[in-house]
Amino acid sequence: MSMLAEIAKRPLVVALVLIVLLLAAGELLSPGFASPTQIMRLLIVAALLGIVAAGQNLVILGGREGIDLSVGGVVSLSAIIAGNLMNGADSGIALAILGCVATGAFFGLLNGLGVTLLRIPPLVMTLGMLGVLQGLLVVIRQGIPSGRAAPGLSQFVTQPFLFGLPGIIWLWVAIGLLLAFLLSRTVYGYRIYAIGSNEQAARMAGVPVATIRVSLFVLSGVFAAIAGICLLGYSGSSFANVGEQYMLPSIIAVVFGGTSLAGGKGGYTGTMAGAMMLTVLTGILTTINIDESGRQMIFGATLLLLMLFYGRGQAMRA
Amino acid sequence: MSPPPDQALWDIPDMAKLSISGVSKAYGATVALSHGDLDLEAGEVHVLIGSNGSGKSTLCKIVAGSVKPDKGKVVLDGAPVAVSGPRAAKALGIGIFYQELSLAARRTVEENICLPDLPMTGPFVDRKALSARAARYIALFDGVTGEDFAANTTVDVLRADQRQLVEIMKTLATEAPVLIFDEPTSALDRTQVDRFFEILRRLKGEGRAIVFISHRMDEIFAIGDRVTVLRDGRTVGTTRIADTSPAEVVRMMVGEETSLVVPAQAEAAASPGAVALSLRGLSGKGFSEVSFDLRQGEILGFGGLHGQGQSAVLRALFGAAPAAAGDIALDGQPFVPANPRVAIRAGIAYVSGDRGRDGIIQGRTILENVTPIHFLRNRLKLASASTLRAKATPALAALNTKFAGFSHPIGSLSGGNQQKIVIARWLIDRPQVLLLDDPTKGIDLSAKADLFALVRKLAQEGMAIILYSSEDVELLANADRILVFNAGRVTRELTGTDRTRFHLYEAAYEAA
Repeated sequence: MSMLAEIAKRPLVVALVLIVLLLAAGELLSPGFASPTQIMRLLIVAALLGIVAAGQNLVILGGREGIDLSVGGVVSLSAIIAGNLMNGADSGIALAILGCVATGAFFGLLNGLGVTLLRIPPLVMTLGMLGVLQGLLVVIRQGIPSGRAAPGLSQFVTQPFLFGLPGIIWLWVAIGLLLAFLLSRTVYGYRIYAIGSNEQAARMAGVPVATIRVSLFVLSGVFAAIAGICLLGYSGSSFANVGEQYMLPSIIAVVFGGTSLAGGKGGYTGTMAGAMMLTVLTGILTTINIDESGRQMIFGATLLLLMLFYGRGQAMRA
Repeated sequence: MSPPPDQALWDIPDMAKLSISGVSKAYGATVALSHGDLDLEAGEVHVLIGSNGSGKSTLCKIVAGSVKPDKGKVVLDGAPVAVSGPRAAKALGIGIFYQELSLAARRTVEENICLPDLPMTGPFVDRKALSARAARYIALFDGVTGEDFAANTTVDVLRADQRQLVEIMKTLATEAPVLIFDEPTSALDRTQVDRFFEILRRLKGEGRAIVFISHRMDEIFAIGDRVTVLRDGRTVGTTRIADTSPAEVVRMMVGEETSLVVPAQAEAAASPGAVALSLRGLSGKGFSEVSFDLRQGEILGFGGLHGQGQSAVLRALFGAAPAAAGDIALDGQPFVPANPRVAIRAGIAYVSGDRGRDGIIQGRTILENVTPIHFLRNRLKLASASTLRAKATPALAALNTKFAGFSHPIGSLSGGNQQKIVIARWLIDRPQVLLLDDPTKGIDLSAKADLFALVRKLAQEGMAIILYSSEDVELLANADRILVFNAGRVTRELTGTDRTRFHLYEAAYEAA
């Protein structure tokens, strides 16, 4: 019992064990589920989710009920902008990346300013922003075609690049290393944990609380925008609200990875494992013919169960 | 003692309205009240007095039923009672004015006044009866409530003094035979206090028994019939106001003459250095017209009753709650601490007594808790754990901090050691001015000793230090001179041999 309790305290271990179990279960249900090509496909899909969850992770770590519900909207918008700016040509990739990152940063900035200057709770602020983005998407769709991914981008996302793995996997690994460094070896990282743990004490210790909180929302927008570009590369062309499916899973991945929803505790390594686990789970659910609505129900229930499991009494401070 | 001849006491000889004997209350290891006695007669205003933490409020709360005593007896009208809760107190006829106002902010004045006992018709509130009842109590203060005060004003837009009046009206509206007022006059102006006293005198005439707590000697002597003094959680005595004097009351609060001598009082710094920090007419929320010079090598004490502006001044100097008016000079240069970052960069350090709120970063490691000031003052970008450990080690050693490792969570330490970590974060890069805002609250004796040994050493090395302590002994033992705060102003400066508990209390309790 105590050993189980010890293991339960290590979300990373739990996630990795679950991933293996789920893969085995998938293989049993549908032979070929855990084949190398299938696993690589799962990795690509997991990377997309993992990149969105990176920003979500930072916002949640920053505390004060930090959460970004607008990530899905930014992913969708970014995919459309990227599709139009490159429109099937490699020469447009650089401009597309620039435009998408700027767009993501802009909406993240609005979120951050709303939360800090206007003191709107993050839940409300980013939910409102999601509404704005969804409306914007409808307007855009009526005016312009959805655009196509450049071949270079599709290749980066789907074709082997180094050691048989596509570029997006390496991008994800790079983001993982970057965040690990940022959170544990830089003053910025120390300060994120400080404002997430005790904002008042952090302010009294000279931490620029508002600046850091705004920067976290900006980073969340940027990561969502990057994920949007990659998603375009994965699907070839963007379609209605492609990003919508990321909101709930990005939060689940973070919580599953051991980051406290109250802020100040956790890290990105666990979140990466959480993203993998969720992706494999989605794969299994698809294999056994559970449709999108069923998957959403299962995800929602998973999040609530996780809160029960990890969060007892400290996940959300009143 | 013989009952005063001019009062209703003759009617009920030998039976107190309310008699409390030997009550005690401890919160964990902290004894709030060790032996409280109080005899309250009908038709008297009975003053309770004692320094910070002497147990007055605890005693009141026991009577009101909001705190359950560990031991002791409460006798009402000759019969022992158990005041099991606020509702029981109400049923027994005990009304209390709470020091921490208990008003519903978004409700109107009249609703608040009638809240403890709403007039009902069936299941509905009888608005008419409510207004009529409230109007009676509002009328009592007719002419002194100030502008923008009406029965249908919501409480949240009222000034502090007006809220206090509403709280008083609410207490009066209970029409309880026993009324307890815990610091009802702290925000009131002269005319309001006079009106309140008129009302108290009338209630006394009606035979009500009234307990009155105030820190103002002039008020106590103006309204009280008898006074009971508490010291360190014990009732030390009760005497008739007419038979005593303010100096006598202060002596009862201080205790025997021997305790006037503070053990090991440090010698004042022989030759304080140049002026490090200078305030001229500094005013803000909770303090006004504060002026003084702080010299290098000096430990300047802030004394007085709790909450008289000491913390507010320190927080203003640190930029946590900036001052509204006045000038600050640091090393002779004008200095505007707009926020803590500005103050920290200028070399000001601030240690809060509220460790949980202002100090520790819960759930994080000792290393993360000891480094934030170092980051800011050196504008660091990268955090190398090994370098930081090397920097922090001497600072922690200077305070004899006991900890197992830098990567252990701060929560694994005792309160005293947590506070040492918080203090040590200021010592990696020496500040010029150290502001200590009741820094020893809730920490053990050995940690206190370590802290004050270091503070004295820092002063000797030339640091300019301000120490506010709610523990008078601590203040007297460590401060070279003491500014006594009273109602947000510095009302007395105690130097040399004047630094005694007697003078400190005398200054703290005199009329502001």
